[in-house]
Amino acid sequence: MKRNTFSKIISGILLILLIFIFFGLKPEEKVDFSTQVKPILNKRCISCHGGVKKNAGLSFLFQEEAMSITESGMPVILPGNAKKSLLIQKLHETDPEQRMPYQKEPLSKEEIDILTRWIDQGAEWGAHWAYTVPKKETLPEVADEFKELGFLRQPIDYFVAARMEELKLSPNQIADKEILARRVAFDLTGLPPARPLFDAFISNKISYENLVDSLLNSNGYGEKWASWWLDLARYADTKGYEKDAGRSIWQYRDWVIRALNDDMPYDTFSVEQLAGDLLPNPSVDQLIATAFHRNTMSNDEGGTEDEEFRVASVIDRVNTTFDVWQSTTISCVQCHSHPYDPIKQNEYYKLMAFFNNSRDEDTPDEAPNFRIYSDENTKRIASILEWSAQYGDKKTIEDLDKFFQYLEPKYQLHNCKDFVNGELSDSKYLALRNNGSAYLRNVNTQGNTNLYFYYTANPRGTEITIRNGSAKGEVLAKFPAKQSKWTIAKVPFKPVNETIDLYIESKNDGITPLRTGSKILWFAFVPELPGKGEIGFNKIEKELLELINNPESLTPIMIENPKHMQRSTHVFDRGDWTSKGEEVAAGTPEFLNNWDNEWEKNRLGLAKWIVSEENPLTARTLINRVWHQLFGRGIVSTIEDMGTQSEPPSHPALLDWMAVNFIESQDWKLKSLMRSIVLSGTYRQSSKINKEKKQIDPKNEYYARGPKLRLSAEEIRDQTLAVSGLLSKKMHGPGVMPPQPEGIWGHAYMGDLWKVSKGEDRYRRAVYTYFKRTSPYPSFMTFDAGSREVCSVRRLPTNTPLQALVTLNDPVYLEAAMNFAKIHLELNSIEEAIKMMYNKATLKKINVQKLQVLKDLYDAAITEYEEDPAALDGFLDLKEITDKRLAALTLVANAIMNLDEFLTHA
Amino acid sequence: MDNYKKLIQEQLLRNAQVNSRRHFLKDCTLGIGGLALGSFLQSCSPNSIPKNNYSTVDRTLNPLAPLAPPFAPKVKSVIYLHMVGAPSQLEMFDYKPELQKLHNQKCPKSLLEGKKFAFIRGEPTMLGPQASFSQAGESGNWISEYLPHFKKVIDDVAFLKAVHTDQFNHGPAQLLMHTGSARFGRPSIGSWATYGLGTENQNLPGFVVLSSGGTPDAGKSVWGNGFLPSVYQGVQCRSKGDPVLYLKDPKGVSRGLKKDIVSAINSINHQEFLEYEDPEVLSRINQYEMAYRMQIAVPEVMDINSEPESIKEMYGVKPGEESFANNCLLARKMVEEGVRFVQLYDWGWDTHGTNHNTSVDLGLRNKCREIDRPITALLLDLKQRGLLDETLIVWGGEFGRTPMQETREGKTNKYKGRDHHGDAFTMWMAGGGIKKGALHGATDEIGFSGVEGRVSVHDIQATILHLLGFDHEQFTYDYQGRPFRLTDVAGNVIQEILA
Repeated sequence: MKRNTFSKIISGILLILLIFIFFGLKPEEKVDFSTQVKPILNKRCISCHGGVKKNAGLSFLFQEEAMSITESGMPVILPGNAKKSLLIQKLHETDPEQRMPYQKEPLSKEEIDILTRWIDQGAEWGAHWAYTVPKKETLPEVADEFKELGFLRQPIDYFVAARMEELKLSPNQIADKEILARRVAFDLTGLPPARPLFDAFISNKISYENLVDSLLNSNGYGEKWASWWLDLARYADTKGYEKDAGRSIWQYRDWVIRALNDDMPYDTFSVEQLAGDLLPNPSVDQLIATAFHRNTMSNDEGGTEDEEFRVASVIDRVNTTFDVWQSTTISCVQCHSHPYDPIKQNEYYKLMAFFNNSRDEDTPDEAPNFRIYSDENTKRIASILEWSAQYGDKKTIEDLDKFFQYLEPKYQLHNCKDFVNGELSDSKYLALRNNGSAYLRNVNTQGNTNLYFYYTANPRGTEITIRNGSAKGEVLAKFPAKQSKWTIAKVPFKPVNETIDLYIESKNDGITPLRTGSKILWFAFVPELPGKGEIGFNKIEKELLELINNPESLTPIMIENPKHMQRSTHVFDRGDWTSKGEEVAAGTPEFLNNWDNEWEKNRLGLAKWIVSEENPLTARTLINRVWHQLFGRGIVSTIEDMGTQSEPPSHPALLDWMAVNFIESQDWKLKSLMRSIVLSGTYRQSSKINKEKKQIDPKNEYYARGPKLRLSAEEIRDQTLAVSGLLSKKMHGPGVMPPQPEGIWGHAYMGDLWKVSKGEDRYRRAVYTYFKRTSPYPSFMTFDAGSREVCSVRRLPTNTPLQALVTLNDPVYLEAAMNFAKIHLELNSIEEAIKMMYNKATLKKINVQKLQVLKDLYDAAITEYEEDPAALDGFLDLKEITDKRLAALTLVANAIMNLDEFLTHA
Repeated sequence: MDNYKKLIQEQLLRNAQVNSRRHFLKDCTLGIGGLALGSFLQSCSPNSIPKNNYSTVDRTLNPLAPLAPPFAPKVKSVIYLHMVGAPSQLEMFDYKPELQKLHNQKCPKSLLEGKKFAFIRGEPTMLGPQASFSQAGESGNWISEYLPHFKKVIDDVAFLKAVHTDQFNHGPAQLLMHTGSARFGRPSIGSWATYGLGTENQNLPGFVVLSSGGTPDAGKSVWGNGFLPSVYQGVQCRSKGDPVLYLKDPKGVSRGLKKDIVSAINSINHQEFLEYEDPEVLSRINQYEMAYRMQIAVPEVMDINSEPESIKEMYGVKPGEESFANNCLLARKMVEEGVRFVQLYDWGWDTHGTNHNTSVDLGLRNKCREIDRPITALLLDLKQRGLLDETLIVWGGEFGRTPMQETREGKTNKYKGRDHHGDAFTMWMAGGGIKKGALHGATDEIGFSGVEGRVSVHDIQATILHLLGFDHEQFTYDYQGRPFRLTDVAGNVIQEILA
């Protein structure tokens, strides 16, 4: 025993010595800035000499800063002369007041050596690895052992094997077929495999490749991976903040599911979500895709200023875009230059300028919305426009068509100022009393002759007058605001071709002085429908107004400001939106890829910049996160961040090879990417851990075993429903409300109610569950789903007693257990039933011990129900007559559905 | 080289952890490694987990295992009483006789310049205090007639009269108060506390939330875990229905049968562990045992009927209802049982004066009545049990209220009401480490601005963490490539109120 320990120590020391010799003997080797020098500067120096703090006038963030003159009067780095460089001298100091890092542990000899050689070799600066374009690495040579083991099935495996070889690890065997089928089915579809497919694979009728292909082609694929994307997109069915009222944006969720199932290439997938509205003649789908950035929260709380929350949304869009596509936490640059990464403060606002010109302004109606009309009404609108096209030019018809699709551009009246006898009601609507007035400034009506406006009026007799410039200005429109609920109305407007201020006044002598005559949300100036004066025009025009007042559904989308409504973008001093600094133009950060002048200087250009092959982060980010989903850990384990403070990649060459391959050979197709991973030998391994592997690689960073992961919140529910035969296959549509405990939506203002869905909508896949931000579905929260307020890159899997309470006691799970038991109750024997249930749940054959444990549970339950038959009255509150056998088998089902084997995939 | 060293170190640590886990399992769940299937539920009685012993139990097995803070703590638990909607300091603690003299006069324009209010538009008038005040206790601190009972404990309390916040809407201000940031996504203070300290009773959640009257405007995020693991989020214990979601055994499943079910699950899971050696499986076994015990322990602690009549009377509880008084008594019971952080939310303090209930002369008086006796009882009860010295009580809202009468859309509200106001409001703390009867900070003559001893929301948070044994600047969590802390980049411990 003692000897053993001793020899271990000796061999450990020998190994360390060998490593010393290995590194120590190559002083002539060129030091690499990005992998050797920068990590030291980042870890040991930058917290005092970087972005926020620049002690002694020194920063190691940018080359020009590191090389420039400091408070000492000279630069600390003298390229070619380490001895004279203050940086190196300071590291060797013996006086603790002088020695750097100040009052921290000194640098190791090796670290000092690296810095010294680097300076002597000329102190060449370089970029952080993740900021250079990935190169397609060649496949490494690996030992024959890996070939013999059948491990090398995909190019991926060569990189993984090479690393294993270095660490003297060898791969596990392929997992049992049953285990592998279940693992890959969950990873690709979020569900256990359909029985016929599973049986065909087990009986060798189809190959593993066939199995993978049919999983990738099933609808479940899009539903599973949508959950992942919707976390990033912060998708929810409510607006968030205090009131957290409902939002109709499920068409976006369905767009994601369809796009994934259609295997839309990731570059297109990205461009359509970021800027679908700016593509030439965008399709309905491309407009719906832009709802990605309308998933920002909006605030209807009384007393909140819409502009503040519009700005908050724009900021969220910048942050989310960089979180989702660039693995870069950019939010801190709002207030100051990035503390670790080379991003300057004004670069943040240059990015913000890309997003600062969308039409949305945190209004209660969430405009702009894409208006979907009923099929019949869509046809009627089309035929009206067709009729009209005979008399007008193409551009006018197109503008009108767009206006009927999403009612833009329009002026929101919360921008009114200088009220007399009036206010912004609830800080949202223009509300004028008798003889009330207000100004709406800087309006360009484009010479249009129709004013559309959205209003409500309770008293009769209110009359509105709009004048040019002032109370004495020319009357541009005068019209009664007839008593009405909220409606879109239309009146003639005198054409003006320049930017003017509108003076809006309201008269109603018949109401008390403090009563409001009307409330108006917006004005829109729209060209006349061509064909005026033709027969039937009046009827058609009236019909049109009626049609646009009756959309079937609304989905918030992004629409860009027209030229005459552009906003300027300014740096916010210390991130405070009320203190605006210098004006900035749209632009991308310097440390990333160059801008191509062919690109439009708007969101579309930004999207193209993101999916450019020159962008070093987009493909790497995606690969890393898909890898994380499949293996429970990223190649860069900090999946949120690939900046200078991120963990170095465990397999840098693999990450780069996959990134290039994804663009060049896989044509940005996610299904091809997934296929290449799940077909790899790396993925197919058994997840068993032996002592040695636990020692060398406790976190499975080197993949000498397969992934064993707990299922996600969605998967746990979907599996339970699927196995018990309850799961509905219905796809798409508005969010559904499966049962949840009473009193969960206990909000003071809550008008909406959780109305439990009927029929198969009770049993839909989790991705369709109505998502309320301030009160998400409770059992999903317990299993680590987020609340979707902001972009969430990672769910932290936990293991808690509250989870056990869900799967043991939640009525959803009890109902499933009883259904599961019922299906098997009539088999020949209870043993048969238990065997079959265990097999259906875990896809494995039960062993004798486990069968005994479950049979004992069954017997114990039978005994108890025989002694106390009354316990069966109202069993589980499921309103079913239950005999003791069904009850006992239900408990067995409940136990099976709580097994580790069931809640994880091995 | 460094990596190799790290690897060896990690290995040593790992071994130590595995050993302590083995040790823990052996002590706690006898049956698991051995033969007596189904017996391990009894073998781990709630009492076998040391209550006051900060042991270094492995967190991979139990993420809520108690840990010692880096510095000597002054308190073990926190009870945080939040009056949702923002109570009026001018009718409760901040006595302003000058404001009375200005009653009904137009508010000077200089006060309004550059200020933003949630609702006030135009020129409001000043609104004098609607309550009369007197001095009480040896400290002679001022107290409103709305809070007659509170006089008894006024000398236990340290007042902060000039707290300020930069948020003037409920949702963001509540988030700032509880998560250190007005935007979503940060962990709440209770989550930080349980993350840093674990909890002392493994049969109860470590961070409990009790609400009366409704939930806060910012929703569950005010007790959310943010980027911390979800195990550290607040668990809402409810007075109606299951006290904790899905706690109750379903109809027809007795305790005995539930034990059989959990035993069956755990013994099969143990086979699974032997096959895969995945430590997560062991953790799951442990969680199922905890869940089973929690099913007993939570209803017990939530049952106020078992308390003696005198105690019920003292708090003024209303059994079977959801009330602040009940929650105060529950808070005491929880702290007594070793719960780390108890967060109370009482809804209905948004006194704009739009109706009777939200007026500062009528509605507010009733709200004060609802909290006066229970809070007083809570302090006295903790004291008589010797728990006040190891518990911190924090009282406050998300901001304060204006010295002006609220005017909306040019119209003066029907009832006497005040708008949101973040420049100066009152909070207080009591308990371990707090200077008794202290008074820190003061506002100007009308209570509009703090003139001395101003403290920020982050200062409050820094102080709470300090009392729990943390340096708020060092207590961080790495996320997205940088360390985050509750107090963001601000906050100073309020030394003036520390004993």
